[in-house]
Amino acid sequence: MYRLTDFYRLSATLTGYDEVELQGTGVGPTYCKTLSQWVRQDVIQELYHRAEEIGSLECESNQAQFYERIWNCAKLGPVARNIIKMWYLSIWYQLPADWNALYGVDDFSADKQPVEDYVISSNAYIQGLVWNALGSHPMGAKQPGYGTWAFPGQSAKPLNLD
Amino acid sequence: MTHHHKEYDVVIVGAGIAGAIMAKQLGEQGKQVLILEAGTGTDGRFFDQGKEKGYESYMARFFTAMAKIPNAPYPNNPNAPQPLVTDIQKPPLDKPVSDHGYFVQYGPDPFASTYTRSEGGTTLHWLGTCLRMLPEDFELKTRFGRGRDWPISYQDLQPWYEIAEQHIGVSANADVQTYQQIDNPSVQLPFEANYDYPMEQIPQSFLDQYLAKGLQGMQVEIDNQPYPIDVVATPQGRNGMPRGDYRPVGAVGNPDLGQRCAGNSNCVPICPIQAKYSALKTLEQAKNTGNVTIETQAVAYNLEVDHKTQHISKVHYKRYHSTKSAAYDDKTVKGKVVVLAAHAVENAKLLLASNVANSSDQVGRNLMDHPTMLTWGLMPCKIGAFRGPGSTSGIPSLRGGAFRAEQAAFRIEIGNWGWSWPEGAPIATVPELIDEQNLFGPALRHKIAEEYPRMFRFGFLVEQLPDPDNRVTIDDQYRDQLGNYRPVIHYKVTDYTRAGMAQAKEVSDAIFQRLGVEPFTKYKTSDPGYVQYQGKGYVYNGAGHLVGTHLMGDDPKTSVVNREQRSWDHPNLYLVGCGNMPTIATSNPTLTMAALTFWAADNVLNALDQY
Ligand SMILES: Cc1cc2nc3c(=O)[nH]c(=O)nc-3n(C[C@H](O)[C@H](O)[C@H](O)COP(=O)(O)OP(=O)(O)OC[C@H]3O[C@@H](n4cnc5c(N)ncnc54)[C@H](O)[C@@H]3O)c2cc1C
Ligand code: SF4
Repeated sequence: MYRLTDFYRLSATLTGYDEVELQGTGVGPTYCKTLSQWVRQDVIQELYHRAEEIGSLECESNQAQFYERIWNCAKLGPVARNIIKMWYLSIWYQLPADWNALYGVDDFSADKQPVEDYVISSNAYIQGLVWNALGSHPMGAKQPGYGTWAFPGQSAKPLNLD
Repeated sequence: MTHHHKEYDVVIVGAGIAGAIMAKQLGEQGKQVLILEAGTGTDGRFFDQGKEKGYESYMARFFTAMAKIPNAPYPNNPNAPQPLVTDIQKPPLDKPVSDHGYFVQYGPDPFASTYTRSEGGTTLHWLGTCLRMLPEDFELKTRFGRGRDWPISYQDLQPWYEIAEQHIGVSANADVQTYQQIDNPSVQLPFEANYDYPMEQIPQSFLDQYLAKGLQGMQVEIDNQPYPIDVVATPQGRNGMPRGDYRPVGAVGNPDLGQRCAGNSNCVPICPIQAKYSALKTLEQAKNTGNVTIETQAVAYNLEVDHKTQHISKVHYKRYHSTKSAAYDDKTVKGKVVVLAAHAVENAKLLLASNVANSSDQVGRNLMDHPTMLTWGLMPCKIGAFRGPGSTSGIPSLRGGAFRAEQAAFRIEIGNWGWSWPEGAPIATVPELIDEQNLFGPALRHKIAEEYPRMFRFGFLVEQLPDPDNRVTIDDQYRDQLGNYRPVIHYKVTDYTRAGMAQAKEVSDAIFQRLGVEPFTKYKTSDPGYVQYQGKGYVYNGAGHLVGTHLMGDDPKTSVVNREQRSWDHPNLYLVGCGNMPTIATSNPTLTMAALTFWAADNVLNALDQY
């Protein structure tokens, strides 16, 4: 079981992209599934639950809570960081060994971590948020067109070249 | 398969650019040609053919590869193993690094370059830079007392350069590439009057334009002599706007758009739309002559000599069944002429394993590369990094000059992809923002938006001299799973080259200062390519420019092939590839090698007429 709406809401907080932008990538369901493949349900539920309790991070006291209860929490922090990396880089990184020893193994299966970091899929690579964030396109895909590199680029301010 | 019963006019070993040019030229003249290729093939070679085995399968492999290294898209094949950049380690003082990867390295410095063993060869993941050598590069010994002279001059090679440029489909403007605008006569190139490249110059990146403006009028001093620093567009083997009715080979997609480079920014390791030249295009033309057969999964391992005539009488090869097992059939084939085009290291290995062509004892020796030093930093403003082809311009003003008597010349490459080479940005650097800088949400997004478009790097391709002790050898202890030799490499970077690196760093520092670039260059002692010169540390990388292992000369005692690129020892054996080049100079070597290969093909044709 995984909860896509909760996943999008939390992802928006973590990535700095709004839910519409995230949905537009088309890879949200894959990431949500990936998360529940490698992280125990109760841990994921706890993460969603706490994020909901804390609410918007626009106000400073909520931010402090976010750091304390999620970002710096030994159990939830590494999961939150993995979710950001998934969205930005399309990679699932192995969770740290000490985290895994404490929270990774449940009663039903012995081995709950992949043997190595991996790229989630071709399409995920292409949808990585990092490319959009840096004002370009994924290397090898979404080609911008002949000669476009001669112009300042979407994020660069036009420079005075005279 | 019945190839072993048939005698071909020409048997070529290797389906890279050198083998492909040779096959096409001979096939067009009606000669019966067999290419033996160690790697696997792409079946339907072009993009829209055969998703599973075709070119597109390389793309899928690339997208999901964790390390996006040059060989990432191309299958790992234990029957035709290839070196990987991730294998490179500093050789320990007392023992070779024998267990890591394909090369066995004795050092003292690591050899850091790689190549590809699949149909199409190393041009599958080359960058496509297509510079000519300078006239003075052919006479290093005479002019500077260093290295060797070539048995041919720039003038001799000039018409073949034109043929190679037309064939590869180089995009550039001849009036720019003569370097007449550079105030350093040593680097100026004579072009044939009225000659121009087949396609117009690829537009220079926004970064190039920014640098060109910022560096206007800049000079540096070497030995009290001023040298200018000029930004010049680089000739490239990727499709631009065709001149006249020239049409590039094998372009795919929309004829109005797809034929041209569309800015996928992925030339190394793989151009998704094949706007960049690769040998697959020439192979397609070769096959279309109807006279050329390509046998893939066929690893040549021995050349048999007829001791009466000294001709190569047979080529022995192992035809393996699949990449999943070492099962193979042992086969032989005959050719009136045999051409080795298996790449500098593999050519040398095959000659050494067969104990042929080596009366000079120069086979495998004089291995050269361009030790490539990088510097990187943040521009004071956004220059739109991570867009366009890997490099669209360079600074060629220090490719030549009187200083070559004392230190290496170098070419400066301007990289368009931010810190992707030195730091693996963005994929390898973003985790640090999250894990160590604790950024998330809008702050993370903002940091990437503000900083990454300012990322900038130079690459300095430094010249190396031919040194007989820098060499490829073979050793019975080291074999691959088919029982073929692995290359055993001895390599060092001498003070001549190190002095060039130090000079390059000084030039870089001066440029950074002038432009207000915040430097981030770090040369770590733990880096495999870490070297010192006069108390300071530098790091070099491999350029993939493997040169010199069977060099050309005018004396059979000191060279492996003659100016016709025929073995001095065996009348029907020709060698092609960068291994023929006596010196490496400062240009990426493939254009020069392609020009030489067109010439060699002509020589083979003439020789065949005499049989
Ligand atoms: C990352 C990178 C970037 C580069 N960029 C540039 C650039 O911008 N400009 C430039 O000029 N050069 C560049 N180069 C160098 C360029 O790619 C090579 O010089 C060129 O491709 C060599 O061509 P070749 O035909 O001699 O060898 P290859 O292309 O390596 O072809 C040799 C072929 O022989 C086959 N083979 C090997 N052994 C055997 C055997 N025993 N039996 C049968 N077949 C065999 C191989 O599988 C291969 O297909 C780059 C190289 C690298 C690695
Ligand atoms: S920039 Fe893109 S389209 Fe152009 S050659 Fe490189 S990979 Fe191909």
